[in-house]
Amino acid sequence: MAPAVVITGLGAVTALGGDVRALAAGLAQGRCGIGRLTLFAHTGRSGVAAEVREEANAVVGRLPPATARRLSRPDRFALLAAAEACRTAGLGPDLGRDVGVYVGTTTGGMLVTEEAYRRRRAAEDHRFRLSRLLGTPLATAAAVVSQALGLYGPRETFSTACSSSALAVAMAADAVRRGVVPLALAVGTDGLCRLTYAGFDALQALDTEPCRPFDRDRRGLSLGEGAAALVLEADAHARVRSARPRAAVLGWAVTGDAHHVTAPHPDGAGALAALAGALAEARVPPEAVDYINAHGTGTRQNDAVEIGVLRRVFGRRLARLPVSSTKSQLGHCLGAAGAVEAVATVLALDEGLLPPTVNLRHLDPAWDDLDLVPEAGRRAPLAVAVSSSYGFGGHNVSLVLGRMAR
Amino acid sequence: MSVSVAVTGLGVLSAFGHGVDPYWAALVAGESGLAPIRRFTVPPGAGPAAEVPAVETRAHVRSPLGRRIDHVSLFALAACRLALLDAGLDPTDLPLGRTGLALGSEFGNLDETTTFLDRLFAHGAANPLLFPNLVMNAPLSYTTIELGLTGPSAMLSAGEVSGEAAVACGAELVAEGGADVCLAGGADELGEVLHQVFHEACLLSSTPRPLDPYADGFALGEGAAVLVLEPLARARARGARVYARLVPVAGFALPAPVHGWPRDSSPLAARLAPLVADTDAVVAAASGEPELDALEAAALAAALAGRKALVTAPRAATGSFGAAGALAAATAVLAVAHDLVPPTLGHVPPGRHGLGVIAGRARAADIRVAVVDGLARGGACRPLRFEAP
Repeated sequence: MAPAVVITGLGAVTALGGDVRALAAGLAQGRCGIGRLTLFAHTGRSGVAAEVREEANAVVGRLPPATARRLSRPDRFALLAAAEACRTAGLGPDLGRDVGVYVGTTTGGMLVTEEAYRRRRAAEDHRFRLSRLLGTPLATAAAVVSQALGLYGPRETFSTACSSSALAVAMAADAVRRGVVPLALAVGTDGLCRLTYAGFDALQALDTEPCRPFDRDRRGLSLGEGAAALVLEADAHARVRSARPRAAVLGWAVTGDAHHVTAPHPDGAGALAALAGALAEARVPPEAVDYINAHGTGTRQNDAVEIGVLRRVFGRRLARLPVSSTKSQLGHCLGAAGAVEAVATVLALDEGLLPPTVNLRHLDPAWDDLDLVPEAGRRAPLAVAVSSSYGFGGHNVSLVLGRMAR
Repeated sequence: MSVSVAVTGLGVLSAFGHGVDPYWAALVAGESGLAPIRRFTVPPGAGPAAEVPAVETRAHVRSPLGRRIDHVSLFALAACRLALLDAGLDPTDLPLGRTGLALGSEFGNLDETTTFLDRLFAHGAANPLLFPNLVMNAPLSYTTIELGLTGPSAMLSAGEVSGEAAVACGAELVAEGGADVCLAGGADELGEVLHQVFHEACLLSSTPRPLDPYADGFALGEGAAVLVLEPLARARARGARVYARLVPVAGFALPAPVHGWPRDSSPLAARLAPLVADTDAVVAAASGEPELDALEAAALAAALAGRKALVTAPRAATGSFGAAGALAAATAVLAVAHDLVPPTLGHVPPGRHGLGVIAGRARAADIRVAVVDGLARGGACRPLRFEAP
C-alpha cells in the first residue's frame, strides 16, 4: 500500500507579508494585498497589482555573495519561502542530500530580462551582458533553492501557466508516494513583469480595481506575485523524525481541456475531470469535502465555469459548502498561485479557519445561494479541502488535502 | 507494481530534415547539420548553426485556432505527429483521456517574446493576439488541442536537460499506470536574440569539438524530438515495433554554482557509476563547451572505471539547444535498435581521460544498454537509460 503523503513545512512570501504567519494573519483579517502597481511604469487600462513589499534578501544560505546579489525577485521569493518551509519542517543539513525540489513558475527573472533586452535594443548596452540574463532560464529558481539550501535530490521545473505550482505540488507528492524521494520540497514562484502585466491587460483580462471574484460586477483578475513552499514526506518518515504534519495530501489529478489557448472549456469538462479524478484518487466522496479553495480569478468566464463544475460535483450540497478565492487578497500569482493556495488551504485545515473572498459586495445572482465566505475569515472545523488551479491552454490540476487526526 | 515502458515511435525534427530516417542516416554517416544561418541576419564573423528546414503549418495544424501557432509549438506538434505515425498509431484512435503528454523547452517562444517587447517598448502597447503564444506551455496547449488529448500533461523547463526531463516525466507516467500512451520529448528554436546573446558572450565556435582537449565552444541549433511511450505489454499486444525499453531512473543534483557547471567531477562520477556499470553506449551531453566537456569526460571516465563503453556526443552535428536532450534520447533509442553508435563530429582521438569516444565512422556493436547522462548548469542531472527489449 502506498504511503500517506503529509505536509510538514510551509513557507510563503506574499503581498500580505514575508512569511506564513503574516499570510495567516492577513487571510484571517480579510486584508486585501492588492494596491497600486509601483514596480514599473504601465500605460494600459489597469494600474493595480498585489506586490510583495518585503525586502526579500535575508536568506543567502550557501550561495556566494556575488550570486546572492544578482538573484531576481522571484528567485529571492522562492528561496525565502523554501528556507521557511525547511525550517518549519525541522529539516537539518543532514537531510538535504535526498530532498527533491519541484518548482512551478511561468516567467522567472523576466523583469530583469526585459530590462536587459530594452537596454541592448536602445543601444544603452553595446552588447548583451550575461550577468544581466542569469535569471532568464526558468530552471534558475530551482537551482537557487537547491544550491542555497543544499538539497540534492531530483530537481524539476514545471511551467503550465496558472497551474504550474499546483502541478509541482502534485508531482512532488507523487514522487514521495512512489518512494522516489523520502522528502520533497514543492515551490511556486513568480514575480510581476511587464510581459504578463501588459499581456493580460491587452487581453482585457485585468480589473481596473482590485479583483472581485464571484461578484456580480467582476471585471477581471488582478495580478500578484510571491512564492510559497511546502515540505512533503511519507507519514512514517515524518513520525520517525518527530515532525508534526500540518495536513495530508490525499489525492490529485491533472487533465487537459484540449479546447482553447486561453479560454476555459465552456462546460469545464477538463476542470470537472480533474476535480472528480482527484477525489476518486483520494477515495474521498464529494459529501466529505468541507471547503473549496477555488481558482476564482475574478474573470467573468472563469468564475461562471468554475461554479458550474462545482455544482455538478457537489449538487445541492454546494449551498452548504464554503467556497472562497484567495486571489481576492493576494491577486493572481500565476505560477506561484497553486502553491500559495495550497498553503492557504493547509492553514485552513490546520487552524480551522476559512480564508475569505474579499471585495465581494454584490454576489452574482447566478450563485447567490452559495457560501463564498465574504469579507472576513471565519472559524470552522474542516477535515477535507480541495484546491484547484486552471492554466492557459486548459491545463487543470486539483489537489485534495486533509486535516491530520489529532 | 510499475510496468515496463516501451519506446514504439520516434518523431524528430533536425537540421537533417523532418522524420527519424533522415536524422539517423545523417548522424550515422557523420554529416554535420551546421550551416551558415539563413533565418536572420547575423553579424560578420558569426559561425554556423543547425537550422531545421521550414515546417509547413498546414501540414500539422487542423483547427482554425491553430493557425496562430508559434515556431516552437509547431516543432513540438510536428514531432508528436511524426512520432505517432512512426509508432503506427492513428491520432484519431488514441485513448484521448489516457494519453499523456510531457514536453520540455528551455526558452520556449523567445522569438515572439522579443517581438512583443519591441512593440511594448516602442509604443507602450501590447499585442493581445501574440500574448497567448508567449506562455511557456504554448506547445503543450497547441498539441493537446490539435490532437484532442485530455489526459495528464506537463511542460518542463530544465535548462540544458529540458528534453531529458520531459522524457523521464513521460516514462514515470506510463510506468506508474497514469497513461496508456505518452508522447514525451522537447523542442527549442534558434532565435535571433538568443544567437546574439551567445555570440556577444563569445561562447560559440565554428567547429565544435565535443570531448576533445581543444574544444573551444559550441554551435547553436534547434529542433524537436518526441518519443511514443507505452506499456511494453500493450505495445506487444498491438504488434507494435519496440525500439527499446525506457527504464526510469531518478534524477539528482550536485553542488555547483547556480549558473555554472559542478566544479568537482567526483560526486558526478559516483552518482553515474551505477548507471553506467553495464552500459554499452553513452550519449554524452558534451557540446564543445570547455567546462562542460572537461567535467563530463572526467566523470564518465571515473564512473566507467576502465570499462570500454562507446561514447558519442551528437550536439556537434545537431547543434546545442535546451531540448537537444530529446534528440540525444532518440539517438540512444536508435543505437539500441540498430546496434550502431554514430560518430562525434569534430572529435579527434584520443579522447580525454581515455574515453572511448567514437570518431570518424559509426561503430557497429551489440548495444544492450544505452545511457543519456543529461547534465545541466546549476548542477541538475537527468539521466535516461534505454535497454534492448
